[in-house]
Amino acid sequence: MFAGFSAQALAQVYCGERIFDGEHKNEVAGYVDGGSNITTGGFGGLAVSYTRHLTSRWHVRGDAQFQFGKQLFSIDAQAGYTLPLKYGYISFDAKAMYSHYHRWDFNETVMNLAATWESPYVDIRLGGSYIHFQHTRDGYSEPITLTFGIGANVRKRSNPWNLGIFFRNYDEFYYENWNINWGLRFYAPLPLGMRLFGELNVRPAGSISQLASKYETSLKLGLKYKW
Amino acid sequence: MMKTKYFLLTAVATLLLTTACNKVSPIGVLVAGTGVEDRVEMSSVYYQKYLDDKDFAIVEDEYSFIVGADSHVTTDPGRMDEMLKIGLDNDDMLYAHLGDIADTKPQYYIVLDSLLNAAKKRYVEKYYDKDENGYYTPKGEDSNEENDRYTFDEIRYPFFPVVGNHDLTHNGWGMWSNIFHSSFYEIDIAVLQGGESYIDHFIFLDTASGTLGRKQVELIEDGILDGQKYKPYRHTFIFSHTNIFRPSLWQFASTFSREETYFLLNQFKKWNATMVFCGHVHAWDDREFDGVTYLTLDSMSEENSPNPGDYLVRVNVKKDGTISWEKVHMSYTKKNK
Repeated sequence: MFAGFSAQALAQVYCGERIFDGEHKNEVAGYVDGGSNITTGGFGGLAVSYTRHLTSRWHVRGDAQFQFGKQLFSIDAQAGYTLPLKYGYISFDAKAMYSHYHRWDFNETVMNLAATWESPYVDIRLGGSYIHFQHTRDGYSEPITLTFGIGANVRKRSNPWNLGIFFRNYDEFYYENWNINWGLRFYAPLPLGMRLFGELNVRPAGSISQLASKYETSLKLGLKYKW
Repeated sequence: MMKTKYFLLTAVATLLLTTACNKVSPIGVLVAGTGVEDRVEMSSVYYQKYLDDKDFAIVEDEYSFIVGADSHVTTDPGRMDEMLKIGLDNDDMLYAHLGDIADTKPQYYIVLDSLLNAAKKRYVEKYYDKDENGYYTPKGEDSNEENDRYTFDEIRYPFFPVVGNHDLTHNGWGMWSNIFHSSFYEIDIAVLQGGESYIDHFIFLDTASGTLGRKQVELIEDGILDGQKYKPYRHTFIFSHTNIFRPSLWQFASTFSREETYFLLNQFKKWNATMVFCGHVHAWDDREFDGVTYLTLDSMSEENSPNPGDYLVRVNVKKDGTISWEKVHMSYTKKNK
């Protein structure tokens, strides 16, 4: 069923977040973010990311961030396989992440496996996380945590600019349980083959009736370059 | 089609931007309720006004207290009544409750209030003598001492709850605060032992919204619950509605955000907590983390746990200062309608 669709052919009409566009094997991105939350008050930071498309379907990626206010440092390594479908594609990603929450002296290790179906307008992610945290002498491993997310755009992914909404229980450097964050995202073209992207992220506290309290609001603004 | 799409997007953007400020919450715009910031603000005013209430009791040698969770009182308050009777029969020093006391409707708080009043009468009858002027004196003490004479209203019934998320919906905070006044408070028990004195500390946190809220975090960081450096607490017991640890893969996880989880665990360690009690998840869990014992209690509600079972916990603080805890059986079953 899928044999007739190569990632390269799809890339001519469709440009997703994870898919190889058939030309640029390297991607580098960086963003600044800032906001305010209940626990730390104001915070802000920087994040960088590098992606290497090994083949039309396989890629590896590394990310790092530093957050002032939260006093948080994170680093991760990812690998993914992309399978083209008749309508969009599905990608399988494995991620290993380490975070040091210096403010409270916690070390966190996360292993995440997730599958993402991304179509021109809608994307859905499902997966699971193993989360372990360590504080001074003791550690705790949480039972496997569900990862879920859904997003929708006003234009096709192939459009040079886009605006969308998302609803998910994770961000690039954390995986939550029931705490669902939601917000707006956009990207737009810049000269020299660069892309501007950003997010407004509202992170409520608790779940269901507990959602009546807000936990965090943040903004991200970044640049992406491919070669 | 395109116009509809942009209209929807604008509506979502407007909602997001309004919810990004502190005055409006994402769901609060749809469901009325009192947010954690307002609750803690009200509670801290009450706390400052009644600071003397912090000194709850002076005991000699040893004492015990019981803890229950998620009673979700409706029209049948049998289990709640049983908890209070168990506490009275065993001479427990206090009865702590981990929230979701009644199940959101105003009439259930009227049931609860009546129940607590009846329980207080039993408590006063057991521990106080009434004189000819209508004043009460602790049994065995001289009724002529002015300082030890109380009116019924002045006697403090030792029921200490935290607020739960079910206590908040349908304007439940109005009912809850009318009965219990404060969702964020502390009490001390002074223990006299062979010429020495110790203070045990009980902290009741407002975690009903799955967060402490900024105000409560600031109060904690300002050290309002830290005690006095010259007299460290012997034991600190902490009570929270929202759980931290997830009992199993099949149970709900904690609803604290990641940062707040680490803040709390670190803070409990800083407070040198002996035990932390949580509810909310309606499942039992006990574990040690960083030298602190964390107990998450099952729901004691006759609706959620219809069969008799060990839903309460009793903590025994012994003469030598050591602690032991045990599960306490409840046998009440729901009345047939």
